[in-house]
Amino acid sequence: MKRKWLAALAALLLVLAGCTGNSSTTGGKDNKEKPAAQKEDISKFPMTVKNDGKIIDGGVLKYGLVSDTPFEGTLSYAFYTGAPDAEILQFFDESLFRTNGDYEITNDGAATYELSDDKKTMTIHIKDNVNWHDGQPVTAEDLEYAYLVIGHKDYTGVRYGDALIQDIVGMDEYHSGKADKIAGIKVIDKKTLTITWKHANPSVLTGIWAYPLPKHYLKDVPIKQLAQSDKIRKNPIGFGPFKVKKIVPGESVEFVRNDDYWAGKPNLEGVILKVVSPQVVLQALKKGDIDIAEFPTDQYPNAKGTKNIQFIGKVDLAYNYIGFKLGHWDAKKQENVMDNPKFQNKKLRQAMAYAINNQEVADRLYHGLRFPATTLIPPSFPGYHDNSIKGYTYNPEKAKQLLDEAGYKDVDGDGLREDPNGKKFTIHFLAMSGGDIAEPLAKFYMQCWKDVGLDVQLVDGRLAEFNSFYDMVEKDDPKVDVYAAAWGTGTDVDPYGLYGRNVMFNYSRWVNEKNDELLEKGHSEQAFDKEYRRKIYSEWQKLMNEEVPVIPTLYRSAIYAVNNRVANFTVDPSSKLTWKDVGVTSEQPEVAE
Amino acid sequence: MLKFILRRILIMIPQLFLLSVLIFLLAKAMPGDALTGQLAANPKMDPQTLEEMKEKLGLNDPVHIQYIRWVKNMLHGDLGLSYTHQQPVTDLLAGRVGNTVLLSAAILILTYLIAIPLGIVSGRWTDTWADKLIVGYSYIGYATPLFIFALIMLFIFGFHLGWFPTGGSVDIQVEEGTLAYYLSKLNHLMLPALSGALINTVVTIQYLRSEIIDTKVKDFVKTARAKGVPERHIYWRHILRNSFLPIAAFLGYEITGLIGGSVFLESIYSYPGLGQLFLQSIMQRDYSVVTALVMISGVATLVGTLLSDIILSAVDPRIRIE
Repeated sequence: MKRKWLAALAALLLVLAGCTGNSSTTGGKDNKEKPAAQKEDISKFPMTVKNDGKIIDGGVLKYGLVSDTPFEGTLSYAFYTGAPDAEILQFFDESLFRTNGDYEITNDGAATYELSDDKKTMTIHIKDNVNWHDGQPVTAEDLEYAYLVIGHKDYTGVRYGDALIQDIVGMDEYHSGKADKIAGIKVIDKKTLTITWKHANPSVLTGIWAYPLPKHYLKDVPIKQLAQSDKIRKNPIGFGPFKVKKIVPGESVEFVRNDDYWAGKPNLEGVILKVVSPQVVLQALKKGDIDIAEFPTDQYPNAKGTKNIQFIGKVDLAYNYIGFKLGHWDAKKQENVMDNPKFQNKKLRQAMAYAINNQEVADRLYHGLRFPATTLIPPSFPGYHDNSIKGYTYNPEKAKQLLDEAGYKDVDGDGLREDPNGKKFTIHFLAMSGGDIAEPLAKFYMQCWKDVGLDVQLVDGRLAEFNSFYDMVEKDDPKVDVYAAAWGTGTDVDPYGLYGRNVMFNYSRWVNEKNDELLEKGHSEQAFDKEYRRKIYSEWQKLMNEEVPVIPTLYRSAIYAVNNRVANFTVDPSSKLTWKDVGVTSEQPEVAE
Repeated sequence: MLKFILRRILIMIPQLFLLSVLIFLLAKAMPGDALTGQLAANPKMDPQTLEEMKEKLGLNDPVHIQYIRWVKNMLHGDLGLSYTHQQPVTDLLAGRVGNTVLLSAAILILTYLIAIPLGIVSGRWTDTWADKLIVGYSYIGYATPLFIFALIMLFIFGFHLGWFPTGGSVDIQVEEGTLAYYLSKLNHLMLPALSGALINTVVTIQYLRSEIIDTKVKDFVKTARAKGVPERHIYWRHILRNSFLPIAAFLGYEITGLIGGSVFLESIYSYPGLGQLFLQSIMQRDYSVVTALVMISGVATLVGTLLSDIILSAVDPRIRIE
């Protein structure tokens, strides 16, 4: 509870001090006044655990799945929706491909690939020693079957929405029932198949669907009933390093070593995974009840220094942002239309970006474990994030100047600016509820804008609950002018899915020809040349920085707490270590004093 | 008596109908649906597919069509498919209801085991130090939020002393069906049940205490005393029997609570039950689960009140309705 108190106190101080007064431009400077707001830096975290001990044979690792709800138990990559299920899947099933630091597939995995000269056809060859947990080989037909399931009209999951799946030659015909096979997927022999797309797109290297389904095991279950069948919920099989031995629905899973794992025998004898509530995760770690857990960043200041665990971390594949509503989504034409006049003036958007003090938010509310965002491609894409762009650092004077230039001036002397026609100018801000700091955060932003003379009010006078929030944003509710949201980017760097002209998730509804052109180039055949793609996305980041249809606000960190007895565990995407290599160096976990 | 019960059951039919309409309309009135915002984590979804999925889930039909379909399926014992869990709601509930009933029953039993002796002591010997202690405890109990208390219990008895397991409903490594399995279940049950009961019980203690104090000064007790009936007899035969009446009546409602589950206990102890499921389903707009759960608890409430009335009229002949 102490944590909540401190957070609430810090939040209160933040609101009181806010942007007003003489608080310096970088929040880090006044740390000494408020010890609660000590600053962390994710780049100082190691990405791999340090343990020089000798890995013992027959160790069993206890993995904590941090969640305040039971896991759903849809244990198949083709069907799961909840993040907890994905955490379970990683132990017993995997992609046919390994990936490098840019999340691109390599030839080190269970399969190798080759692209045709026109980059439209990929030949995938599954290695001979790759077998399902029941001993049957993983075949080309199994991968084809996965596509046949996802593309089927009875399929109940969400994966069909992926552009790379729909772009496969013949997928439309199969999906609408006109064909009973997918023309673009050909099984060459038992272990080889080719996939042909209509367009060459470098995103196949990060986004190709490479999770086969065990056809021999699942084929008797109708596709409509697959997700609810015992073969997925109770006795799932994969070809990963561990086999599922037992599942207690919603709370725990027991895994045993898969001696036949294609990459070699795993170090651990078994893994016990159990759900741990975020309220007790630190205690469970201290006591050695669990060895590894993704650690809630807001609890980190209380947890650091704990003797029996080490923390590793990295920048998350996500960012928070504030978006301007510039138009609406035309569902018939499948197109964004930029017809809302209120924020068309670029200077107004820029001024609002200069007015907010993200550094202070990051340091005071997130202890530095979130940090000011500069572009719309987060640094977790080291190959594409352009760090020459500095974004909009807090500069209220510049904001005021821009507003003056744009004609937003205070004509009636009430301290608030009117629009260029001298009419009252009120901005309606939509922010989501949830968590201790949602409210102070929203208030803080509003105070920041007020300090430069902008009248910002919450939509309906309060924070919106998750569903109402997205309902209003998705349907372009006219009550909303500005909204604060977040995106997970996934491992595919291509921002088209969030900012394209014909994309519904382009919530700001911003359209621009230069943007169309760059996004198109970014996933063209030419962009298979990494240097070219980097240049295009760098240009795109500059364009978005200049135009600010959305203001990137914060990048996030993900940290993991790991018991000292664990070796070879990593969150580094470029590392070659996998769950097979993870081991323990003592029979029992270390326990804190 | 039979006529009374029959009449009560008949009244339940229009009540249930009204309940079902209300539940359905309110559920539909919530902003958003099962697909709203769910894809924010990884938005690889094109609008047509989203539309197709809504169509498949029947979310695009007019409300009355959806309602009729829902009721029709429900009468056939089909509560629909949970979107979030990709599983029939009946299966989903069946998996959770065992845990919830077990936990609630344990809480209920412990509640009475604690409340009855404490209530009697406190009511009979008012203003003694024992009474003051018990009243003090019940006030503190009233004022303590369950989730904080459960956390404190978990930290002390689970983590610090290590007497009880700290989460889950059973140890995954014991063989199902063996004695060790049931002992493990019991062991996992104790701490959450105790946490719930220690807070829950204070209401019943206070109830019992004030009933006893009230009855103590009634005329028939004075008469009994005047006739020289021994004090022990007066308490056991006369006062307690009367004081238990409202508590017995309350039992029906308590049984309703059995299936409600407790969000806090379930979340803190990672104990998969219906309370958590209900909250999660509301947040994720998993309509079929929400409506099914509200409907079931509605039915349970009606049955519970009926049960209360039956118990009451069985123990107390004065209020029997013919």
